[in-house]
Amino acid sequence: MTRRIAVAALVLALLTPVAPPIAPAADDLKIALVVPLSGRWARQGQLKKMGAEMAIDEINAAGGIKALGGAKIVLREADAGDSVEKAVSAAQRALGRDKISAGIGAWLSSFTLGVTEVAERMQVPWFTLSYADSITERGFKYTFQTSPESSVQAEQALDLLVDLARRNNQALKKAAIVGDNTAATVFFFKPLREKLLKAKGIDIVVDEIWTPPLADATAIVQKLRSTQPDIVFYGATNFPDSIQVLQKVKEFGVKSPIQGVGAWLVTPEYVTTVGKELLDNIMSVVAAHPLKGQEELVERFKKRTGEPFMTQDPLMAYAHVWIIKEAAEQAKSADPKAIRDAVAKLDLRSGPAAATLAPGRIRYDERGRRIGAVPIVVQWQGGEPFTVVPAEYATRKPVWHGAK
Amino acid sequence: MAVAELLQYVVTGLLVGGVYALMSIGLALIFGVMRVVNFAQGDFMMLGMYLTYYLAVAWHTDPLLGAIVVIILTLGLSLIITNVTTMVLSPMPRGIKTAYATRAFALGAVLVNEARAYAFLMALLLAAVVYAFLTRTDLGKALRAAADDPEAAAYQAIDVRRMHALAFAIGIALVAAAGGLLATYHPIEPTVAVNFIVLMFVAVVLGGLGSVPGAFAGGILIGLVQSLTLLVLPFQLQNVGVFIAFLLVLYLRPQGLFGRRLRSV
Amino acid sequence: MAASGRLRGWLPIALVVVAGGLLALALRERYHHRILTLVLLWATMGLAWNIISGYAGQTSFGHQAFFGIGAYVTVLLILKAGLTPWLGVLAGAMVAVAAAVLIGIPTFRLAGIYFALATLAYPLILRIVMDFAGYQEVAIPMARERPTLFMQFAEPRAYDLLALGVFAATLALSHVIEGSRLGYSLVALRENEQAAEAAGVDTFRCKMLAYMLSAAPAAIVGAVYAHAILYVVTPEAAFGVLVIVQTLVVCLVGGAGSKWGPVIGAAVMVPISETLDATIGDRVPGIQGVVYGAALVLIILFAPEGLYWRVRGLLGGRRPAPTSSAPAPPAAAPVTGGPAVIGGDLLVVGEVSKAFLGLQALSDVSFAIREHEILGIIGPNGAGKTTLFNVLNGFLVPDRGEVLLRGRSVRGLRPSAICRRGVGRTFQVVRSFPRLTVLDNVMVGAFVRDRQRERAEARARAALGVVALSHRADAAPTGLTTLELRLMELARCLAGAPTLVLLDEPLAGLSGDGVGVMIELIRRLRADGTTVAIIEHTMQALLRLADRLVVLDQGRRIAAGAPADVTRDPAVIEAYLGTRWLRHAESLRT
Repeated sequence: MTRRIAVAALVLALLTPVAPPIAPAADDLKIALVVPLSGRWARQGQLKKMGAEMAIDEINAAGGIKALGGAKIVLREADAGDSVEKAVSAAQRALGRDKISAGIGAWLSSFTLGVTEVAERMQVPWFTLSYADSITERGFKYTFQTSPESSVQAEQALDLLVDLARRNNQALKKAAIVGDNTAATVFFFKPLREKLLKAKGIDIVVDEIWTPPLADATAIVQKLRSTQPDIVFYGATNFPDSIQVLQKVKEFGVKSPIQGVGAWLVTPEYVTTVGKELLDNIMSVVAAHPLKGQEELVERFKKRTGEPFMTQDPLMAYAHVWIIKEAAEQAKSADPKAIRDAVAKLDLRSGPAAATLAPGRIRYDERGRRIGAVPIVVQWQGGEPFTVVPAEYATRKPVWHGAK
Repeated sequence: MAVAELLQYVVTGLLVGGVYALMSIGLALIFGVMRVVNFAQGDFMMLGMYLTYYLAVAWHTDPLLGAIVVIILTLGLSLIITNVTTMVLSPMPRGIKTAYATRAFALGAVLVNEARAYAFLMALLLAAVVYAFLTRTDLGKALRAAADDPEAAAYQAIDVRRMHALAFAIGIALVAAAGGLLATYHPIEPTVAVNFIVLMFVAVVLGGLGSVPGAFAGGILIGLVQSLTLLVLPFQLQNVGVFIAFLLVLYLRPQGLFGRRLRSV
Repeated sequence: MAASGRLRGWLPIALVVVAGGLLALALRERYHHRILTLVLLWATMGLAWNIISGYAGQTSFGHQAFFGIGAYVTVLLILKAGLTPWLGVLAGAMVAVAAAVLIGIPTFRLAGIYFALATLAYPLILRIVMDFAGYQEVAIPMARERPTLFMQFAEPRAYDLLALGVFAATLALSHVIEGSRLGYSLVALRENEQAAEAAGVDTFRCKMLAYMLSAAPAAIVGAVYAHAILYVVTPEAAFGVLVIVQTLVVCLVGGAGSKWGPVIGAAVMVPISETLDATIGDRVPGIQGVVYGAALVLIILFAPEGLYWRVRGLLGGRRPAPTSSAPAPPAAAPVTGGPAVIGGDLLVVGEVSKAFLGLQALSDVSFAIREHEILGIIGPNGAGKTTLFNVLNGFLVPDRGEVLLRGRSVRGLRPSAICRRGVGRTFQVVRSFPRLTVLDNVMVGAFVRDRQRERAEARARAALGVVALSHRADAAPTGLTTLELRLMELARCLAGAPTLVLLDEPLAGLSGDGVGVMIELIRRLRADGTTVAIIEHTMQALLRLADRLVVLDQGRRIAAGAPADVTRDPAVIEAYLGTRWLRHAESLRT
C-alpha cells in the first residue's frame, strides 16, 4: 500500500514543471523564431536564423527602434525539431517564457499550421513564409503570410512561363507534372492539373507523383524522354529524390525545360552534389530571391555567413524582422496586440523589407495575406541562381532553351 | 507493353535491389548470430556514406575504391548517434559528383546506369565473398554454428561471445560498405538512414530472419517489387506494393523465403 | 496479481487521478499545461499498448495505426460532416476496433518477432495511403462560436482534464483487466501459449479481445492528441514512426506488463524530453537528442525490466516469494478403498492417423478410455505417445480418424475448447507460467469453470489443497522442486474440474519418494471419480497403477488390455520390453 503511495508521489514529483528560464532585459523587443534547428530540416532553420540575425544586427547597429527609445531587438529561437508536436511545443515555450512581441516560423507548412494556432490563442502576431493556402483560410487574426500562397503562385508562375516562351517564339503545348506528394508540392500542382493548364490549352502528357523517398527515377524520366514535354513542372522536396531525378534526366538526355516549384531547388548543396552543368537553365518559382538592387545586401550576407549566395529562407526571415521593426515604430509599442494592429494597417513602400519582396510594397489583407505578392522565377546560370522574372526585378536575362 | 520497357523495369529493379541486398545481409548476419534487432544499422550505413565522402573529397580516392576501404575501416566501429553527426558535420546534404552517376550502358533499348551497375556488381561480389566465408572457412562455419545452436556450438569449443563480436563487426562493415556504394550516386545527409532502414528489415524478413542468402534475395526482391509495382499501382503507392508482398510472405511462409521451418510442438 | 482487497486496488488509481487533477488546477504556465497533457496522453497510449503487448506479450510495432485512425477519422468527420469531435472520437474508436479485428485475424497466426514486424506494415501502408488520398495536412477548422462542442478550449486546463479523463478511464480499464479472467489468461498466454491453451484459455479469442480493447483507447488518444497538441493532422504525425517510438519508450522505461509502467514511463520521460528541449535544446539544437538518447540508455541499463519492476524489486515488493521454508503439510491420507467402478467408454479414439513431413507418427490407432479407469500408454521413444496426447487435447488435428468424447467428436476443436469439455493435461516437461505465483498458475486453470475471480481463487486453493501444495501458494514456480512443479501443473489441470486428465510422464525426474507421492495422488484422483490416462516409461509404477495398458510402437497400437496380459504379449516384448523384462515381470509376480 505505502509503496503504491510512494509511486504516486514519485509520479507527482516528476510531473512538477520545469524551472522557468532566465529573464531578459525589460526594454528589448523580443522576436520568437520557431524553426527546425535539429533533425531533417535543420539546414533550412539555420538559413532562416542567419537572415533574421542579419536584420537584427543592422537594426540594432542603427539605433534600434526609435519609437521605443532605441529599444534593441532580441531573437528568441526555439527548435521546432522534426515533428508537429515538437514544433507546437517550441512555439508554446517561446511565447510562454518571455514577453514576445512577434514570431516568425515554422518553415514547414504543417508546422506553421500548428504553430500559428498557438500564436492565435496567445495573441501574438506571427509571420510565415509557408505557401499553403490553408494557413490563412482559418480566419486567424494574428497570422501573416508573406509569400504568395500556393494556388496564386501556380497561376502567376504559369502566366510568366507562357509569356517567356512566347517571347522566345515558342507556344507551350505539352506539359509534364513530376513531383512528390508532400503538401507544398501537392497544393501547387492541384490548380495546374485541375484548371490552369487546360485554360491555356496545354496538355498534360506526364503526371507522375511519388511518395518520398523515391526508390528510382528511371520510370519517370523514361516517360519524359518518350513524351518530350515543352515544360516540366517539377516538385521534389526531398533532396535525395531530386538528385536522382536530375541525374537520370542527364543520363537519359532529356532536354525539356524544367520548372521547379519551390525554394528547395535553389540551395547551394545542389551545386556541390550534381555540379553546375547539370543545373544550368533549370528554373524554379520561389516566394523571394535577391532582386535587382539588392547586390550589396547579398554581399554582406555572403560575407557574414560564408554561404555562396542568398536564397528565399534567409531573405524572408530578414524581411520579416524588418516588417516587425516598422510595425513597432508605427505602433510605438512592443505590445503584441498593438503590433498586430499596426501590421494590419501597414503599407510599406520603401525600406529593406519592401526592397526585398516583389512588388516592393508590403500590405496585408484582412485574412493576413500579403496584397499583390508575386512569385519570383529563379534560374540557375553558371552554378548560381538568379532572379530572371519578373523583368523589372531581374538580375539576369532568362535563358529559354525550349526543345524546338 | 513492349518487351524492352518491361526489361527496363526489371533491370531497374535489379540494380536498386542489389544495394538493398548488401545492406540487408549485414542486418541478417547480426540477427542470425546475436538475435539482436539492430535499429542502429541504418546509421552505420550513413557513417559509411560519410566516410566514403571524405575519402573521395579529402584524399581524392575513387569512391568505388573508397567503398572497399570502408570495409576495413569500419570493422569495430561503435555507435554514434545521428544527432552527433548533424551537429558535427552540419545538416547540409553533400554528394560526390561522379561521371558514372549520370552515364548509362545501353543494352539495346535498355539503359543501365553505370554507377548503379558498378554498385550492383560490387554488392554481388561482396555477398559472394561473405557467402564463401560462411560456407567454406572454419571461422565462417563456426559463426554459422553459433547462429544455429549457441549451446551446441559452445560444447564444440566455439567461443560464442567472440562469434557475436565477429558477426556484429562483419554486419556493420557490410552495411557501411553498402553505404559507400550508395554514396557514389546518392546524396549524403545525417538523416539518410530513415529512407532505408524499413526496407532493410523488410528484406531480412522476406528472406527469412537471420538467413544471409535469404536477405540477399529479399533485397533483390524488394527492388524488383518496387519496380514492377509501377506496372499495376500508381507511383505514390509503390511501397504499398512492397508492404503487401511483405505481409503475404509473412502470412503464407512466416519463416521467410529461405528460412527453415520452426520446430513444431 | 495475488488477491488483494478490491477497494485497495482502486485507491492508488484515485490518488494518481486526483493528483493529476490538482496539478491541472495548480499549473499556470500554458507550456506546463501542455507538458501535463502530453504526459497524460502518452501514458494513456502506453497503457493501450500495454494491454496487447504488456499483458498478452504480443509486441505491436504498429499501434500508431489505431492512433492515426482515431486522429484522422475524428478530424475528417469535422471537416466533411461537421460532426462534433465528441462523437467523432467514438466513431474513430469504432473504426480502430474494426481495424484491429481485420489486422488481428491474419496476424495472430504469427508469433513473436514475426507478429511485431507484420504489425509494422499496417501504419506504413496507411501513411502512404493518406498521402495518396490528399490528406497531407488537415488543419482542424476553427470553431470560434462553439469551442466546447468542437474541443477547442481557450483554457489549457480543459485539455488537461480531457486528457486526464481518457487517462483515468484507460487506467481503470487496465486495472479491471489485471484482476479479471481475461488478465490472467493474457499473462498465461504470454508466459506459455500452449500451456495456456491446454489449461482452457482460448488464446486467439483472448488476444483478439485484448487487441480490440487496446485499439480503442489508442484511437481516442490519437483524436485528443490531434485537438490538444497538434491542431493539424499529418500522416507523419498520426501514423509516423515517432508515435510508436514514443509509446515504446514510455512503456519500456516504465516497465511493460503492469498498468503503472506506462504511467511512470510517461511521467519520467516526457518531462525529461521537454526540459531538455526547453533548456539546452534551444541553445545547442540537437544536443537534446543526444542527452535524451543517453538518458534512455542509462535508464535501460539501470532497469532493463523497467523502472516499475526495478523499484518494486528494490523495495522488496510483493513479488512471488522465493523458496519458502514452511514445512509441507502432511499429504492427504492414502486411499485405501477399492478401485472405483469402471464405467463405459468416455473417450473413443477411432483409427487416428497423423503424419509430419512424410513421417507417419500415428497410423490407424484405435482404443477407448473408460470412465473411472487409469489407462497406461506405453511404447518406446518415438512411438507416437505424445503425438497421441496432442491429438486428444486438440494441439494437432488428425489427418484421418475420429476422437469422440462421450460420443461427440472433438476433432478440429481448439485445445481450450476440449479443455472446457473436461479434458485436462500435463506435459512431459512441466510448462509453468514462470512469472505468476503458484496460486496464479492454478487460477488460470480454475477460470475454466468460474469466471468470477473470488470463486476461481477458491477453486484454485482447493486444487492446491488436493495436491498438498497450499503452503507454496505464493511462491514463484522458479523456486519449486521438480515434484512441486509437477504437482502445481496437476493442480492447474484439476482446478478446471476435468473428467479426464492426460498425464504425460508425470513421474519423470521424480525421486523415489516423489514417485510415491504422485502415485498416491493419481489413485486418489481416480477414487474421486476422475478418469486418468498416463504416458509413462517407468513400467513398474505403471503396473502398480494402471487398470489397462495400450502399447504403441512406431505409431501403431500393437496391444491393449490388462497389464498382466499385455506384458506377456510377444509383440510387446519384441518391440519394447525385451526378454529381460519378461524375466523381471515374472519375478515380480512371484
